[in-house]
Amino acid sequence: MSKADQTTSGIGQQGARVELSMTSEPGQIAAVRRAVESLCTDEGLDDRSACEVGLCVNEALANVIRHAYEGAAGRPIRVTAVCDAREVEVRIRDWGNGVNPAELPQRPYDPLEPGGLGLICLGRCMDEVRFEPQGDGMLLVLRKRAAAADAAVQVGGCGHCGSATPGCEKRSGQ
Amino acid sequence: MSEMTTGVDLVPQARVEQTQGGTAVVASVRGEIDLHNSPELRGVLLECIASHSPKRLVLNLGQVPYMDSSAIAVLVEALQKIRRVPGRIFLTNLQPRVKGLLEIARLDSIFVVCADEAEAMNKA
Repeated sequence: MSKADQTTSGIGQQGARVELSMTSEPGQIAAVRRAVESLCTDEGLDDRSACEVGLCVNEALANVIRHAYEGAAGRPIRVTAVCDAREVEVRIRDWGNGVNPAELPQRPYDPLEPGGLGLICLGRCMDEVRFEPQGDGMLLVLRKRAAAADAAVQVGGCGHCGSATPGCEKRSGQ
Repeated sequence: MSEMTTGVDLVPQARVEQTQGGTAVVASVRGEIDLHNSPELRGVLLECIASHSPKRLVLNLGQVPYMDSSAIAVLVEALQKIRRVPGRIFLTNLQPRVKGLLEIARLDSIFVVCADEAEAMNKA
């Protein structure tokens, strides 16, 4: 991994990790989405959160293929996901045109006009969406906290498994 | 009533019915839909609308566990086309992930969402 890609992950070393390389063919999106969803569910993230993360990975990859690579096939995309039962972080690196979607003029979302829904999904489903220009492309960092972990913290329970029992022993990756 | 074979895996068959309100087409869609295969769905739906000018296009999505924004874009394009007939699109048997995406897209009140095909065919 190049130095330009390195940023701090809040999840740290405890979370399980998956690293995936793909090229910019739409036919590869589903396998990557399913792999990230599986990581999330295997690590104990609630189903709803896992599904939302999968949707956002799908939408982000589709945006890379359509916009960053302007539909060109065979271009590299690297996806890294780190997850524990409380949180997931997904990093999507491309070597495309480097256009930062967050800096494009925003128009009001109209459900009957094409475009924009992918970014709406990211904003609705993720707790953090950050585009980091890399000089030779873009790094998108997505973070999401598990709904169950939030609820457990609110009631003083175990933040790892959502149990109402504080200090529950269940913790993925151990 | 007539059955037509589309040759497309996502929508293998569709049923054309003549009703008092005009032509109705009922199609079952099968499988996950994303940027890879949404163009297939687009081809089938636009061809169906062009060929039959249906007043009522019923899409049974009971076997669609997942779709992304490219599939939503296809449904919206089909909606724009059928409104010129004028006709309507009815979505039935929505799975949770598809229903959730329609809500995010704020389209759940723009398409006619029904529990099943029978409700869609009988809805005024």
